[in-house]
Amino acid sequence: MLGKLSWQAIPFDQPIPLFAALIVIATVIAVLVVVLVKGWLPYLWREWITSVDHKRIGVMYTLLAMVMLLRGAIDAVMMRSQQTFAFRAPGYLPPEHYDQVFSAHGAIMIFFVGMPFVIGLANFVVPLQLGVRDVAFPTLNSVGFWLTATGALLVNLSLIVGEFARTGWLPFPPLSETTYSPGVGVDYYLWSLEISGVGTLVAGINLVTTILKVRAPGMTYMRMPMFCWTVLASNLLIIAAFPILTATLAMLLLDRYLGFHFFTNEAGGNMMMFMNLIWAWGHPEVYILVLPAFGIFSEVVSTFSGKPLFGYRSMVMATMAICLISFMVWLHHFFTMGAGGDVNAIFGIMSSVIAVPTGVKIYSWLFTMYGGRIRYATPMIWSVAFMITFAIGGLTGVLLAVPPADFVLHNSLFLVAHFHNVIIAAVIFGAFAGYTYWFPKAFGFRLHEGWGRLAAIFWVAGFYVTFVPLYIVGLEGMTRRLQHYDVAAWRPWILIAAAGGVLTAIGIGLQIVQLAVSIRRRDELRDETGDPWDGRSLEWATPSPPPAFNFAVLPNVSGEEPYWGVKQRARDRLKLSEEPEYEAVEMPRNSPTGFVCAFFATLMGFSLIWHIWWLVIAGAVGAYATFVAFAWRDRDEYVIPAETVARIDRANRQAREAALARLRRDQ
Amino acid sequence: MSDAQAHDPSIEEFDTAPGDEHLDGSGVAQGVIGYLVGLVLAALLTVVSFLLPAANLVWPPSIPVALIVLAIAQMGVHLVFFIHITTGPDNTNNVMALAFGVLIVFLVIGGSLWIMSNMNHNMAPMSGTMQMGP
Amino acid sequence: MTETVALAHNDPYALGHGHGLAVGHGGGGPASKRIIVGYGFWIFLLSDIVMFSALFATYAVLVERTAGGPSGRELFDLRGAAAETAFLLLSSFACGLASIAAAARSARWYYIAMAATCVLGLGFLALEISEFARFVSDGDGPTRSAFLSAFFTLVGCHGLHVSAGILWLLTMVAQVFAKGFRADIMRRLLCFALFWHALDIIWVGLFTVVYLMGVYV
Repeated sequence: MLGKLSWQAIPFDQPIPLFAALIVIATVIAVLVVVLVKGWLPYLWREWITSVDHKRIGVMYTLLAMVMLLRGAIDAVMMRSQQTFAFRAPGYLPPEHYDQVFSAHGAIMIFFVGMPFVIGLANFVVPLQLGVRDVAFPTLNSVGFWLTATGALLVNLSLIVGEFARTGWLPFPPLSETTYSPGVGVDYYLWSLEISGVGTLVAGINLVTTILKVRAPGMTYMRMPMFCWTVLASNLLIIAAFPILTATLAMLLLDRYLGFHFFTNEAGGNMMMFMNLIWAWGHPEVYILVLPAFGIFSEVVSTFSGKPLFGYRSMVMATMAICLISFMVWLHHFFTMGAGGDVNAIFGIMSSVIAVPTGVKIYSWLFTMYGGRIRYATPMIWSVAFMITFAIGGLTGVLLAVPPADFVLHNSLFLVAHFHNVIIAAVIFGAFAGYTYWFPKAFGFRLHEGWGRLAAIFWVAGFYVTFVPLYIVGLEGMTRRLQHYDVAAWRPWILIAAAGGVLTAIGIGLQIVQLAVSIRRRDELRDETGDPWDGRSLEWATPSPPPAFNFAVLPNVSGEEPYWGVKQRARDRLKLSEEPEYEAVEMPRNSPTGFVCAFFATLMGFSLIWHIWWLVIAGAVGAYATFVAFAWRDRDEYVIPAETVARIDRANRQAREAALARLRRDQ
Repeated sequence: MSDAQAHDPSIEEFDTAPGDEHLDGSGVAQGVIGYLVGLVLAALLTVVSFLLPAANLVWPPSIPVALIVLAIAQMGVHLVFFIHITTGPDNTNNVMALAFGVLIVFLVIGGSLWIMSNMNHNMAPMSGTMQMGP
Repeated sequence: MTETVALAHNDPYALGHGHGLAVGHGGGGPASKRIIVGYGFWIFLLSDIVMFSALFATYAVLVERTAGGPSGRELFDLRGAAAETAFLLLSSFACGLASIAAAARSARWYYIAMAATCVLGLGFLALEISEFARFVSDGDGPTRSAFLSAFFTLVGCHGLHVSAGILWLLTMVAQVFAKGFRADIMRRLLCFALFWHALDIIWVGLFTVVYLMGVYV
């Protein structure tokens, strides 16, 4: 009846996971109780859970990413502290638990922090920047988000029921085959990624279609803000790469569930094919994460330097070049696994070549700053920290791209330091820059500047103090994923890295303080004008937060940096443009399809992990029924009357008028 | 457009959905003829694919190349006659997306085969000598 | 619709028109819903084909790893594959006729063509299932060797797509029956037709790479 599920799945005998599980359960129950007692449930259901508004979905993606960032960061702190204690000692985490921690850390940080963060920001910003009212497929967008959340839920469920994979963030066979990993850990990993992978693919299709087909009149390709270009490139990569991941993990699932022989040691299986396919996805994945971050930095640097982006066209070319080349370098992840000199050489050269468009970008940002009137607000601090840190990470990457050097450094902590150097510097710093930059647009008030700067300083310092020592011990031969060690020379560096972990943790703490302080003091941080940073692209033409329909009238774009042009005209003439004629707006109706679908996906995922077959079938039937019910509805849009549109837009115009009046007074 | 969205029809012609039927009442016969042509061409290519290697007509080592060429030709027939992909400007985006997909398919299949054959060539044979247990 | 199409046919290459105004891929504002939906589904299909390319690559890598079991040359029955090909090609043709019938708003021809599509698709599935059953009962199931794992997965994944397509087909018939040729249902029909034609394109790759090359190369 319940498959493999029994009371033994709950880790009663292991105090650390049990304790963690209790904290998670207590938090979830506390949140639920507060929601129910305060009577927020109808509001949450109506305005958030069933929402198909791209802004709401973007915010929920970002929130999911930040919650999961806490989980991933706790894993990181556990790893650093384990290595601190485990010098000629067993430490406090037994090997089977330590292995789960580093596997969960990697998987969570990539799939449930990086991905939802960039997709969330893209979801929120892209339609606003393109000057349109919604994404191409609003309901599908909601389905995508809730499937991602399902994946995250399953990963966290493994903390309480059963175990997580012990196979690293990518489950390399034959270790991940049933012979060597008979437990449910790998199944948790595989099913949560299969489900969230569908969500990611849906988000990718949605954003690509939005950017290619849904843009304001006059918004030609070469007038799109840089962030839209990078999101386009990133989502093209999602469409091209995620199916490979889905297929590869499905083959591993077939090996595990039905006794197939794709990657096994017996019956002709070839585990190298797994390495090959997983990295054919894995390398583009790096650029899926990093390209939108490049876009965020482009927006931030240009805004806070008060200048248009330097070399816009070469930036576009560089972005699309990275998009293509990123599909031609994947072998560099397994230089040491038996390919010949010719193959290694070509992939090594391609890996170095991809540094060229990236270098073009760095120079573009530097020249954007050059001669600009730079304001060092928090997003700009993240951006400058990124440029310096990412350049170092990129250079160590070029080192690793040289196959002979890679034979020395492969799977050492040097490699670990390298990829944290690029991913933290670009994706995490970029996500925080974007979070600070667009927060006022989403909520109508700014984040507190002082706490934000302090958090950034701790984060950056924490990063260097953690990972420079890891570069050094990596060069000294320390491999990754060591549960304990006995080399005295590594010891001091590991202690310094632990101190860095503390600094980073303080940085995260300061960000939580920043959020709390900002919410408490939201009235004095209020953004009245809708344009708190003196922005250049169309999202700043809307009020903060934007109304459901974003734009009362679709803007007519007549050049690059459309909002800057409109604003300059208004400033020159000290007068707003003529009030447009308002018409009623049709918007998509909210739908619980995404949430219900994710509910059934969760049921299916969980029952597949525990081999509860009747529940699998019930879940599949439920998911199909959900889609049919959705397809059967007759009204999928509602109308916002012209008066409402006019009222909201007039308030926005009034705020802009007030800003102009201040300008007049100053002159 | 049957949709409520109003568009200037003079600019619609630059864009079309992939696979869209261009029927204007009288075009049913034309549409059916299009599919029929596609069916005949596809059937012809299929028959050639099945008979060519059996018929001992061509030099045996060229058979795989011939089969792949025939398959690609037939895929082209399907794209043109069934999915109505054209080279016209209204199809630019559809063709660009298709080209991107095809490029990725070639990179994945070609790259995998090259890498894996290279690895097989370089690795010691594993037959039977390395039995590992749990 | 008619006016648009007439224009497109009069000047298919849009000579003498600037591209700056092009809807969707120029600067003419958001494209129509039909184009948005069709394009989104087109991209989905491309991603699906990339997924198949991973399976094809795996099949090609594992094809010689028979682990002492039978190879494709010993297993495959080309007459069966030819029959499957015929069923699927005719089904794709019938699906095209259904699209035309829907575009001409002829419910009767639409039902007839969809029924033909469905029956031919089911015929394909029946042949494939009987082939799989024969292999398994002979002890040559997917657990026999890496080659057979790859074969069953590649061909079976296509078969699953066909099964899902038939479920979708039946849903579409029910939708047209209940709601008529409404704009949103016409958009879904467009997607379904794309899906069905794409499955036939994948099958072309399958019968060539798996069956023909398995037997003759």
